[in-house]
Amino acid sequence: MSEAVGEAKLEVKQASKEVKESENVAEKYSAMTVSKNSEMNMGDLSAVFSAVPTHKPVKKQIQFVEDKQEFSRFPTKAGRRSLSRSISQSSTDSYSSAASYTDSSDDETSPRDKTQVNSKGSSDFCVKNIKQAEFGRREIEIAEQDMSALISLRKRAQSEKPLAGAKIVGCTHITAQTAVLIETLVALGAQCRWTACNIYSTQNEVAAALSETGVAVFAWKGESEDDFWWCIDRCVNTEGWQPNMILDDGGDLTHWMYKKYPNVFKKIRGIVEESVTGVHRLYQLSKAGKLCVPAMNVNDSVTKQKFDNLYCCRESILDGLKRTTDVMFGGKQVVVCGYGEVGKGCCAALKALGAIVYVTEIDPICALQACMDGFRVVKLNEVIRLVDVIITCTGNKNVVTRDQLDRMKNGSIVCNMGHSNTEIDVASLRTPELTWERVRSQVDHVIWPDGKRIILLAEGRLLNLSCSTVPTFVLSITATTQALALIELYNAPEGRYKQDVYLLPKKMDEYVASLHLATFDAHLTELSDEQAKYLGLNKNGPFKPNYYRY
Amino acid sequence: MEQNQDLGLPNVHSKPQMESRADLNGEDMEDASSGTSESKEQQGKGSPNLLLMLQAAERRRTQQPRDRDGLQVSEVGARGQLTEALKTNMQIQFTDQKQEYNKPPTKTVRSMSQSSTDSFTSVHSDSSEDESSPRDKHQKSAKGLSDFCIKNINQADFGRKEIEMAEQEMPALMNLRKRAGGEKPLAGAKVVGCTHITAQTAVLIETLAALGAQCHWAACNIFSTQNAVAAALVKAGISVFAWRGESEDEFWWCIDQCVAAETWQPNIILDDGGDLTHWIYNKYPDLFKKLKGVVEESVTGVYRLYQLSKAGRLSVPAMNVNDSVTKQKFDNLYFCKESILEGLKRTTDIMFGGRHVLVCGYGEVGKGCCAALKALGAVVYVTEVDPICALQACMDGFRVIKMSDILRQVDVVITCTGNKNVVMREHLDKMKSGCIVCNMGHSTSEIDMAGLRTSDLKWVHVRPQVDHVIWPDGKRIVLLAEGRLLNLSCSTVPSFVLSITAATQAMALIELYNAPEGRYKKDVYLLPKKMDEYVANLHLPLFDAHLTELTDDQAKYMGFSKHGPFKHNHYRY
Repeated sequence: MSEAVGEAKLEVKQASKEVKESENVAEKYSAMTVSKNSEMNMGDLSAVFSAVPTHKPVKKQIQFVEDKQEFSRFPTKAGRRSLSRSISQSSTDSYSSAASYTDSSDDETSPRDKTQVNSKGSSDFCVKNIKQAEFGRREIEIAEQDMSALISLRKRAQSEKPLAGAKIVGCTHITAQTAVLIETLVALGAQCRWTACNIYSTQNEVAAALSETGVAVFAWKGESEDDFWWCIDRCVNTEGWQPNMILDDGGDLTHWMYKKYPNVFKKIRGIVEESVTGVHRLYQLSKAGKLCVPAMNVNDSVTKQKFDNLYCCRESILDGLKRTTDVMFGGKQVVVCGYGEVGKGCCAALKALGAIVYVTEIDPICALQACMDGFRVVKLNEVIRLVDVIITCTGNKNVVTRDQLDRMKNGSIVCNMGHSNTEIDVASLRTPELTWERVRSQVDHVIWPDGKRIILLAEGRLLNLSCSTVPTFVLSITATTQALALIELYNAPEGRYKQDVYLLPKKMDEYVASLHLATFDAHLTELSDEQAKYLGLNKNGPFKPNYYRY
Repeated sequence: MEQNQDLGLPNVHSKPQMESRADLNGEDMEDASSGTSESKEQQGKGSPNLLLMLQAAERRRTQQPRDRDGLQVSEVGARGQLTEALKTNMQIQFTDQKQEYNKPPTKTVRSMSQSSTDSFTSVHSDSSEDESSPRDKHQKSAKGLSDFCIKNINQADFGRKEIEMAEQEMPALMNLRKRAGGEKPLAGAKVVGCTHITAQTAVLIETLAALGAQCHWAACNIFSTQNAVAAALVKAGISVFAWRGESEDEFWWCIDQCVAAETWQPNIILDDGGDLTHWIYNKYPDLFKKLKGVVEESVTGVYRLYQLSKAGRLSVPAMNVNDSVTKQKFDNLYFCKESILEGLKRTTDIMFGGRHVLVCGYGEVGKGCCAALKALGAVVYVTEVDPICALQACMDGFRVIKMSDILRQVDVVITCTGNKNVVMREHLDKMKSGCIVCNMGHSTSEIDMAGLRTSDLKWVHVRPQVDHVIWPDGKRIVLLAEGRLLNLSCSTVPSFVLSITAATQAMALIELYNAPEGRYKKDVYLLPKKMDEYVANLHLPLFDAHLTELTDDQAKYMGFSKHGPFKHNHYRY
């Protein structure tokens, strides 16, 4: 308690930084009451789109961590960066169990040099091999089974064509799931040109199937850095076609257009950005006053966040650990570093299997939540000798240091569920006195001179991306969110969105959720007129104020 | 009650007020007399001390809610105008109610914040026979102070014991006292407060005093004051104007005395319900303008502040502590998780394993109830109107259904929607015999009580808070607390929850008082996240929880200070 005096003062002083943020509160409250009275019907899509939801530009963001990446600096496409661009589940490659038809053909010529024509006679695309279209179609059909939300969106909106006239240029992973999204956009009236946001993630046969149906796709697996930018350029720069919407994942496409085609960029009606990195870049641009079109941050929508973090990790932590180590969890002592959404998911899953879970946390509010949920909050050093498994999910770096690894007991498992490979100090394990043994794919034994082994998973990279699948359901949530964001931006009346970054309106967020309820055979209760009036809500939502925490 | 005309308030103000007052007065007198007669009865029994205390506690638990609901029912039934006021108590969704700031709300259902409602804890209440109004008595504290007005100063020692007990359960505030040490962050602060006066509040008040503040206190509820505690506070030198069973007139008199505009002049307000703020705003506008700020705890009070702010008439900064993260989680999620089980067990002795339970609403309260029930092996169904919450329920493993699809099967129906008419007579008609119906939402309106008070149904009162409603064919529905809030009527509010609130209030006062000129404008603010985190921090020692500290390097990597705030403002926890 000796420093207590100073501490109390410090608290007060530091709180001053919060002022600006607090000021927005009243604004938020007053915004809440706006537009509760517009008559809408959830089933009627056009009404949903024309709603005037309450949203305000988001001022701040998820902790963007280290990259002080300049918007104007070209990121390199090669190596690590391209893979670690985003922690959004859906924007990373999906390691789903989908068959990879990826050609073993020893066709070494670059697709750039080939001229291919689809059955309709169009050659406005560039994929590995248009002949794989049929395989790709099968993949897409499988994905459609699990993405009923998008399919029902197609049905509900098909006659209205809310995207009629939209010319969307997109840059995302090109997988069967994205294909369902793209074809949904087309079904809603949009013209699409697409390119890949990652040089490795493209499913060639899916790209072929899309090209066959008339979507101009420029992407193949294993592009070079040069190919990557060439594809983006081909996508944007075409005679007689000017895009008016951007769907981006990572910000590369936005960046390219901003730099290369500023005149086209200015005429864009809106940008929809999915990844953390891309959103971060947009905020930077907006802060610098250089964002001249409205942008929609779909990464932080409630539904997407919950699924990307809490629900996805709750399942994948078990999947990942079981797959790699066959560990049995009952009675095992596990320490989870960090009790954010990911940590909450991991803890809940492990507790349910009978593991004894400890939590380390730096944020007192999250720590208190952990306490109330029945987890012991400890410092890592207190339990490091006891635990069988360490899981990091802080988003920070050097959470588990060499010093701590030295003290762990023989056979303990170390893995990372956070967003980067910095959480475990893996570099410190690459010293001559330690022996590394690769026992399985993604599993290394690190052996100390005295024979102690530590089991390191995925070399400290994200366990859930390396060693487990991303469920299609999660991807469906993302894709639906993107589709609705595009519809909202495209149909928004002049002036609703300024040149700023917006969160998806709550109304749309709720619509995404409601599209997915059918999967669970869940029956939503409807408010009676009288009840809606009592609560002061519109019968069709939005049902919660903007600051509601869910 | 002469108001300042140029504020443009009085016209709107006086009329509804008089009406509601008249209405209230009638009710109040009735309640007050029933209260005293009961206490006489108790005296007559002359039971040993402990038993007395228990009885008293039990009576408080039962009598109190009846008071508030007597009012509720009459309001709902009789008048649209008052139901308006009632509805604002609703909760976070402030929505459409056009409640005027200058209409005094009724004294009863003001807030659903756990801590701002009476705490039905197991503490004793005094049973003095003294019928004379404290206003007419002249009392002096040991220190010669006479600037107070309470029931009986001689009960101070009793009250002190209560406060000491509460201190045990509120280590966070004690920590705060210690951590501030000699610092006195509130030196020079003249706090005028209007909250429930209970042992827990007393710990807060004494903490404020220990941090350097001068305090004047009044009660925000005419029934909730613990007289002994008030006495103990007075003995410790704090000017308290409150006793149990004030009349409406006395209520406002106490507040006026408390403000002591001529002799003392407060510079900061701690309010629960907005009455005090309202009074000063209307009565002493000059004084109001000089305030450093207002700290408001209840939903209603906060709502009134926002209205005032929207109308551009808020001339001082105000702090909304009701919506701070920590407080919200404890008032709803954690508290309800425990009280749903306690409330049901206490009243019905039900065993939950394998029972089919229908929870209406999957907000924070619903999430708490579902988690608790699932843990005991109940089969839980959820009804929900919000698709996002419905999806959450799905992912948490609950069946989301419409009520009419499942009614015939369920053993327990729990409402927590905040809405009205969620369970209607036609629903009740379909339930099976023995089904338990209760409400964890915020008002009595969720279950259609009027629909049950018909001549064809027989009501049998089987225990306190438990009624059997018997259909002509012999079917029984077990109705708890007559549709009022189960967790307030039939379970205790843990001191821990109250401690969270009290610590939040103290931090808000410190923040407002010490904020440099210009940090807070004339607006309503949320407690800065930093302070919210500090409140949580103060409570961690109770769990023997050890917080990890960031290294400088890590803090830099994350891009925030080592000491927080650790999350951006829209983080959802």
